[in-house]
Amino acid sequence: MAVRIRLKRMGAHKAPFYRVVVSDSRSPRDGRFIEEIGTYNPVAQPAQVTIDEEKALKWLQTGAQASDTVRDLLSKAGVLKKFHELKLQK
Amino acid sequence: MKEHTPDALARTTRVNLLFDFYESLLTDKQRTILTYYYHDDFSLGEIASEFGISRQAVYDNIKRAEGILESYEEKLSLLARHERLMQMTDQLERDVKAIVTNEWDKQSIIDAIGQFRVAEGTAREGGGSSWQHLKA
Repeated sequence: MAVRIRLKRMGAHKAPFYRVVVSDSRSPRDGRFIEEIGTYNPVAQPAQVTIDEEKALKWLQTGAQASDTVRDLLSKAGVLKKFHELKLQK
Repeated sequence: MKEHTPDALARTTRVNLLFDFYESLLTDKQRTILTYYYHDDFSLGEIASEFGISRQAVYDNIKRAEGILESYEEKLSLLARHERLMQMTDQLERDVKAIVTNEWDKQSIIDAIGQFRVAEGTAREGGGSSWQHLKA
């Protein structure tokens, strides 16, 4: 079963805030997820991103599929670059 | 399409904010699909299988709904106005903190700014900053 890394919207009305979560692709939208690996706050100036790099790399290496928005976020945080470097070392 | 666009993140942020303002003007179906796509970050394929419709139908629905949201913003500018007000409020708060020396005065002005944020919907009653309630 596929594991996905997605953004999950939290936060108040008109003040979005996102969690980066790892979840099963089959799990419904009931908020259940396997692990939280970061956050994204687009309202802060400049936008704040926190990513647990170790966890993110671990999930990517085990084949978790990141959504396009998460891939965008991971590439901005430099995590995707590290992931590709690690892949090449093998 | 969200797929393969370089700035999927900016698009998601934009649509989610527009959705906050004009959600009630969409149909139930449009709201549901946008929620799956932008709140929960499901892919077109996942939404398609969830509702038993084609990927293309999901895509068309999302594009149409986004177009509707943008057309409301074009006419009403509620989001642009809100963002401008929030920037001005932040600036005002910084200025007050830097300039006002009397602590009592400073606190009452900052409280008033907080009330303004509550009225604009970005802070809850009693919250000092717009993010305080999220950190708890």
